[in-house]
Amino acid sequence: MRPTSGGFGRLLVLVYGVLALAATARGLYQVSTAWHEAPLAYALSLASGLVYVAATWALATDRRRAAWWCVGTEMVGVLVIGAVSLALPDDFPDETVWSGFGSGYGYVPLVLPFVGLWWLWRTGRAGADH
Amino acid sequence: MIGALVALVVATSLGLAAWAVVFVARDRAVVLRQLWAAAVVEALLIVQGVVQTVVLVRTGHHVSAPLFFGYVVAGLVLLPLAAAWAFAERTRWSSVVLASAAGVVAFLQLRLVQVWGA
Repeated sequence: MRPTSGGFGRLLVLVYGVLALAATARGLYQVSTAWHEAPLAYALSLASGLVYVAATWALATDRRRAAWWCVGTEMVGVLVIGAVSLALPDDFPDETVWSGFGSGYGYVPLVLPFVGLWWLWRTGRAGADH
Repeated sequence: MIGALVALVVATSLGLAAWAVVFVARDRAVVLRQLWAAAVVEALLIVQGVVQTVVLVRTGHHVSAPLFFGYVVAGLVLLPLAAAWAFAERTRWSSVVLASAAGVVAFLQLRLVQVWGA
C-alpha cells in the first residue's frame, strides 16, 4: 500500500483542506448568525465542514479506515442533501456546501468523494499484486 | 477598499502560481526560492489585511465583518500551510499544490472585493 498523502494525494489533501476551511467557516457563520432561520440546514452545513476536516486529516496522515468512513459519509451527504435541497428548497433558504449537489462550489463537493474513493482504492491496491 | 493593493496581491499570487505551473511542466518539485516568493505574497496579504481593516474602521464602511475577516484570515492561513505541505512532497505534485494554493489565494482576494462591495 502506498501512503494516501503522496503524489496525487498531495493535491487531493489540499483540495479537501480548502473545502474544509470554506465549509466549516460558512457553517460557523450560519449557525452563529442565523440559527433560527433554518436550524437543520445550518447544522448540516457545519457538520459537512467537520466531515471535510476529518477527511483532510485522515488522508493527510494516511489513516485509511477513517478516510474511507469520512469520504463515504461525504458521498452520501452530498447526494442526499443535494437531492433534498432541490426537492424541498424552503428548508434550505441559504446555500450550504452540499445543497444543489455542491453547485455553489463548482460541483467540486460532488466530484470529490468519487475521486477520494478512487484514490483510496488505488493506493490500497498498489503493491498488493506482488 | 484600496484597489491597487488588491491588484498587487492578485498579481503576485498569480505570478507565483505561474512559476509553479512552469515547474509542473518541467516535472520539478517546489524549490526554496518559491517559498521565499510565497513569503512575499504572505507579507503582502498581512499588509493588505491591516490596511483594509484601518480603512474599514476609519471610513465606517458597512460590511459583514465575519464574512470579510473570514476571507482575510482564510488567505493568511492557507498559503503558509499549503506551501509547507507542497514543500514536503518531492515530486511534481509539490508544484501542482503550490500553483493551486496560489490560485486560491488570488480567488479569495476577488471574493474579498465582492464582500466589500455587497
